[in-house]
Amino acid sequence: MDLVIENLPFLLKGAYYTLLITVVSMFFGLIIGLIIAIARLKGNRILRGIARAYVSIIRGTPALVQIVIVYYGLVDYGIELGPLTAAYIALSINIGAYVSEAFRGAIQSIPKGQTEAALATGMTERQAMRRIIIPQAIRYAIPPLGNTFVGMLKETSLVSVIAVTELMRSAQLLVAQYYVYMPFYAAIAAMYWIMSTFFTFLLNKIEKRLSVY
Amino acid sequence: MIEIKNLQKNFGQHEILKNISLSIPAHQVVAVIGPSGSGKSTFLRCINGLETITGGTITVDGHVIDANASKKAQQKEIYAIRRKTGMVFQQFNLYPHKTAVQNVMEALLVVKKMPKEKAYSIAANLLEKVGLAAKEDAYPSQLSGGQQQRVAIARALAMEPKLMLFDEPTSALDPELVGEVLKVMKELAEDGMTMIIVTHEMKFARSAADRILFMADGVIVEDAKPAAFFEHPQTARAQKFLQQVTEF
Ligand SMILES: Nc1ncnc2c1ncn2[C@@H]1O[C@H](COP(=O)(O)OP(=O)(O)O)[C@@H](O)[C@H]1O
Ligand SMILES: [Mg+2]
Repeated sequence: MDLVIENLPFLLKGAYYTLLITVVSMFFGLIIGLIIAIARLKGNRILRGIARAYVSIIRGTPALVQIVIVYYGLVDYGIELGPLTAAYIALSINIGAYVSEAFRGAIQSIPKGQTEAALATGMTERQAMRRIIIPQAIRYAIPPLGNTFVGMLKETSLVSVIAVTELMRSAQLLVAQYYVYMPFYAAIAAMYWIMSTFFTFLLNKIEKRLSVY
Repeated sequence: MIEIKNLQKNFGQHEILKNISLSIPAHQVVAVIGPSGSGKSTFLRCINGLETITGGTITVDGHVIDANASKKAQQKEIYAIRRKTGMVFQQFNLYPHKTAVQNVMEALLVVKKMPKEKAYSIAANLLEKVGLAAKEDAYPSQLSGGQQQRVAIARALAMEPKLMLFDEPTSALDPELVGEVLKVMKELAEDGMTMIIVTHEMKFARSAADRILFMADGVIVEDAKPAAFFEHPQTARAQKFLQQVTEF
């Protein structure tokens, strides 16, 4: 216990990186996911095919493999990314696939009459999408997106393999230094749990706030 | 105002509208009646391009949707027609994430790119016109069906249409709420709006319309003045239909 307290600043720095990676990846993942969802629903055949392949490949391969491909695999092609950059890229691409599925489901759940009402007032398809469909879909998508976000918080532990000193690797480094396992691993388990619970709570609040109508 | 020539509409193999031709002068109020599945909604939806047409032409205020024209050319005409045409749906289709006044303002902001203050004053006036001045800030879920439909009418009127299409505007309403919607429609008719109304409200059709179109199996079977149609329906189809709807 003393060891944990003594090294708490180090662990907190790891937790900071865990949060940072989660938030940054989620941010870009949301953008990628929205674009992919729209490409799948409204794109021409080629765009739809690309979007579908992307989702299928990402969801059908382990995130760990995606991470090592971005970090180590690309080196073969002369692309050398820093560990943190590689983590952002790999996880954004990963999360984008899940986000796009959440958005796609949400967009499809909006009744057709909504688009028709908008078109009937003279809006273009694009305006109807942007002003009427997507704002409603985002609200429907918040619960699954929340799950994705909390899932990502835990998934970030995978980037410890490419030497990003987030929470998991912080513990591993301490273990290597002090030759004791349990205190550090138990401590980070608690920290992951606290963060997950906090965000779950926060998302429930947001959901409630948005369901005013 | 409206000129329809040889309109044909197929869904897959099924011919839903069969070679319909008719013209509707400005300020006329036309009630379309007929059994369910006869193609009334499809007919209405072809006029503002919510359905693509299989054959023929539809002209609304000089803009022509021609089934033989390119998709792009048709789309351009359809946008022009929609800007002059309002539509009211059976299920209201109000935007649930927007308040009553925001529903009415939306197209003014997005399509006409009007400044907010101007759009608001138009929307507020229209809500007052349909008797809902007090409900500006209510979300659709907080309104009764009759109130929602009146907001939907205001939303359609915001674009200053020359033509209003109504697809069974009172069919989803509790009986005691039908009157308030019909009253608003009657006022519109009296103001000289050109209207095509698909309805099962026979009393309303008779009193408010200038003309009845009776549709069955994708064909306009009768086209007559209300008094003539209701008193002396010419075809067996229409006689049977009128018997059924007035039976109980
Ligand atoms: N999108 C569609 N796809 C296939 N068939 C349709 C579609 N919309 C309507 N129909 C068919 O067209 C016919 C006419 O429908 P509709 O115009 O809704 O009739 P009404 O409004 O008179 O009840 C019905 O047989 C219906 O099943
Ligand atoms: Mg119908």
